[in-house]
Amino acid sequence: MSEMVTKRRSTHPMKIVALLIVVTCLTLFPFVVTNRFYISLVNEMLIYGLLAMSLDVLLGYTGLLSFMHNAYLGLGAYVVGLFLIHVAPSSLWLALLAGVVVTSVIALPVGWVQVRTGGLAFALLTLAFGMMFYTIVWKWYSLTGGDDGLMGVPHPDIQVLGITLGSSGNPTTMYLLSLCIVFICFLLTWRIIHSPFGAVLEAIRENEERASFVGINVRRYKLYGWMYACMLAGVSGGLFILYRGYIGPTTMSAFAGAGVLMMVLVGGMGSLWGPIVGAGIFIFMQDYISTMTEHWELFVGLVVIMLVLFLPRGFIGLGDYLTRFRKE
Amino acid sequence: MKKAFLTTILCVIAGAFLMVPNQAIAKDPVKIGVIVPLSGIVAQGGEEMKMGIQMAAEEKGTLLGRPIELIVEDTQVKPPVAVSKAEKLVFKDGCKALIGVFSSGVGLAIAKNIDRLNVPFLTTHVMTTKFYGLNPLVFRSGQLANDQTAVGNVKGILATPDLKDRTYYVLVHDYAWGHDAGQRFVDLAKKNGIKIANEDFDKAPIKTKDWSSYISKIKASGADGVYIALITNVIPVFAKQAYDFGIQKYARIVSGAAPGPVELEAGGEACVGIFGASDWCWDVDNPISDKWESDFWKKFKTIPSDAACHSYVGAMNLFNGIEKAGSTDPQEIADALRGISFNGPYGEVRISAKDNCMRNSAVLTETKLAPPNPYDAKIYMKVLHTFPAEELGPPAKWN
Amino acid sequence: MSFTAIAVDIILNSLVLGGVLLIVAIGLNIIYGLSRVMNLAHGSLYALGAYAGFTLVASGLNYFAALLVAPLLIAVVGLIIERVIIVPVRKRSIVYTLILTYGLMFFLDGLIKYFWGNEPRFIELPQFMRQTLPIAGTHYPVFRLVTLLTTAVAMIGLMLFLGKTKLGIILRAASSIPEMVSCMGINMTFVHAGAFALGCVLAGIAGVISGPLYTIDPIMGHEMLISSFVVIVIGGLGSLRGAVLAAFLIGLVQTLAEFFVTDLAMVIVYMMMALILAFMPRGLLGEGRFE
Repeated sequence: MSEMVTKRRSTHPMKIVALLIVVTCLTLFPFVVTNRFYISLVNEMLIYGLLAMSLDVLLGYTGLLSFMHNAYLGLGAYVVGLFLIHVAPSSLWLALLAGVVVTSVIALPVGWVQVRTGGLAFALLTLAFGMMFYTIVWKWYSLTGGDDGLMGVPHPDIQVLGITLGSSGNPTTMYLLSLCIVFICFLLTWRIIHSPFGAVLEAIRENEERASFVGINVRRYKLYGWMYACMLAGVSGGLFILYRGYIGPTTMSAFAGAGVLMMVLVGGMGSLWGPIVGAGIFIFMQDYISTMTEHWELFVGLVVIMLVLFLPRGFIGLGDYLTRFRKE
Repeated sequence: MKKAFLTTILCVIAGAFLMVPNQAIAKDPVKIGVIVPLSGIVAQGGEEMKMGIQMAAEEKGTLLGRPIELIVEDTQVKPPVAVSKAEKLVFKDGCKALIGVFSSGVGLAIAKNIDRLNVPFLTTHVMTTKFYGLNPLVFRSGQLANDQTAVGNVKGILATPDLKDRTYYVLVHDYAWGHDAGQRFVDLAKKNGIKIANEDFDKAPIKTKDWSSYISKIKASGADGVYIALITNVIPVFAKQAYDFGIQKYARIVSGAAPGPVELEAGGEACVGIFGASDWCWDVDNPISDKWESDFWKKFKTIPSDAACHSYVGAMNLFNGIEKAGSTDPQEIADALRGISFNGPYGEVRISAKDNCMRNSAVLTETKLAPPNPYDAKIYMKVLHTFPAEELGPPAKWN
Repeated sequence: MSFTAIAVDIILNSLVLGGVLLIVAIGLNIIYGLSRVMNLAHGSLYALGAYAGFTLVASGLNYFAALLVAPLLIAVVGLIIERVIIVPVRKRSIVYTLILTYGLMFFLDGLIKYFWGNEPRFIELPQFMRQTLPIAGTHYPVFRLVTLLTTAVAMIGLMLFLGKTKLGIILRAASSIPEMVSCMGINMTFVHAGAFALGCVLAGIAGVISGPLYTIDPIMGHEMLISSFVVIVIGGLGSLRGAVLAAFLIGLVQTLAEFFVTDLAMVIVYMMMALILAFMPRGLLGEGRFE
């Protein structure tokens, strides 16, 4: 294991520069492009990017496939929304914290059951639990509003150390808040993935049996990976409801879940930043194609098929592909 | 080989992204955002709504001396999608008003965000009573509200000897509109001495395909009437399965919403004998209605439906409101819309200045085998009774 | 209505539901068992089968003839799909086939919408099937009984095919020890293609019989796909006997739950699936397996 850790690439200074440039561009974005539609669109990309990144921790690093990771975004969003409506309409941070905590509390027993299996069984279990949450949310009319969704979620002010930075109802402020939180989560995840803990997760992905031979408690580490991914999904859920002011059960459906999986694949799994780019591409594509034609399913389907057939490593694989293309 | 593959895929993707709709802007048109479902369970209804709005736009031709441009977006009947589409229409395309919407959930989700969007939003197919006085920018014109159809249905049942003395089994779709419609029917029915078999009525998931369990329940309950509040496209599905089980032989079906004519055709003879309150069907007999029907048929070759008609009336109201306001300022349009009236296929309709919702008359219809008609329809909705707007409500609070 | 009449209704309803679930799920199961492809587009192939049946009947073909022709058409479509887009990714991780077939699902749904539009369709039945038959105090539709019969015939046909014909025996052998079969000089390409085609035939049959049973619309396959997942998981992945048991069990549970506790029907079914996966990962009969 120690060999695996030392073999890991150290963070190249160029990467830090590139990251800083990207973050600066994103920060300046709402001031350059003042159109609220684009601000909202990029905000949505960031939130789904965070969700896709959390799925990448599970899929790309631990090798566990979750069909319905969006269920945990949904749970986080419902909890934050209900907290803001019923408990404290103005405490944003407390609501976000409640969202993460409750999502984790729900994810724990689910994860405990799920990590007993692996591979396809794990994937199908995520589907079973996801559909269960979806059905419960949909049926619990008095609490969640059922099919109509949760409405009337207040927009609290964003306060840091007693200083009010703005209302979360303002698209630009909300965008900056999302960017800030997504960036922090990204750095945190990057750090965790490039620690011995991350190496253990990758070892499990590569070969579960061998990992257990060197004394790794595979189930426990799988559970850690699962819990971390669900916590991040809970954070993205909190951001989602603050940005959208609304959550309905369709956000938690199996087909929306497969969409999140596609974001990871489009971007390229096992890279953390790839899925964020993938979320961007996916949301842009969905928005763009569905605006262009009524038959958007046809085109989305075609693009996905093409991507899997010809760009299996996703967006991050594009570079390699082009290099090889030139050689040919 | 690989090269060829790669070139093809890059071409396809590039092609997909470059096929930008070439919007050559002539004389700075007034853009109107049309939000309808074009995929999912109610796609057919959305298609018809789009037709109705297109027809109104063509009839009107220009607004404030500028051409009208309709920009259509598919909601997929998903509220979050609808909200982002609304944002796209307003912030990116610069639409001055939003119109359309099928499903209360979608309508409420957009209404929730309307202050941010800051454009008038006129729904043509939303029935929830939550819309009364919801927001100064939110209007309902077109479809009757739940409380109105419930009154229409109960009045219709009382006025029809064949329906009056029956016991009703209530079955609704499990979402806001279904719950609301079911509850209102049960309450009103009890007040008027109509017998109900299951006061704690059944709520079937929207995705239900197999109605046999519910039909067995209806049979087991001994009811000889069925009150359904199902999404219009599902009515023929339910009716057909009920017919297979022989329910129609002894029971009558009363529907909270009128079924769409295209779906009725698909359902065939199983759909005969469904009663329902609506504001319009092509059997409504007045010169404006007759002309509208034949224009619609000529243009789209589709049987004119109530969904299309609501949307037409709603769109005419909106366009007239914009003309009356004399500008595209949201507040001015909203002010102009309050109290506006329009004499359309189903008579004079008026948007109340108190609650932003429409007042109009309703008809009780029964589906029957159609007489020879220009639309080649085999089934049609025959008008049994007409109820004037004053009789239908809404509740006193808003009058 | 008497107690027996209600009981007969419930039992027949659950058998019909279980039967349709079984045919779809077993097709999915055969494809998975033989070629390790979890085909998310299976629901859309089922929908395509229903539309093919609809078009054939609408153009004047007898319902039973359509029941034979439509599945073959779907098999052809399936073969094309398998050769063109599944083969290139077969060697890769299952995640890729999942995503690929997910894209395919969208593509097929879009295609259906493009050709047939959105409005619901119904398959016209011959006159004699539109009656009801009095059984034990209840009136049960004849075509539902015919559907049951069709399910039984299809299942017996499948059993005979897998058990008695040489091709069937090869398929079964390939499902347990693929290496051995390929060592014996049997071309695995044919096995994979055959499995896919067989799965598609079953999807096609299910599509045509559910046409008159429910309704035909472009998204009819979505719900069916999830339900078939539940069935093959509870029965054990790759296990055919398990699928039979699971399909009728789900049919019964869902019918009973809809009859007595409407609101919780699906929660119960998903809960069952989760518990069985977690504690009996090989399914009810312990025959399933995971790679």
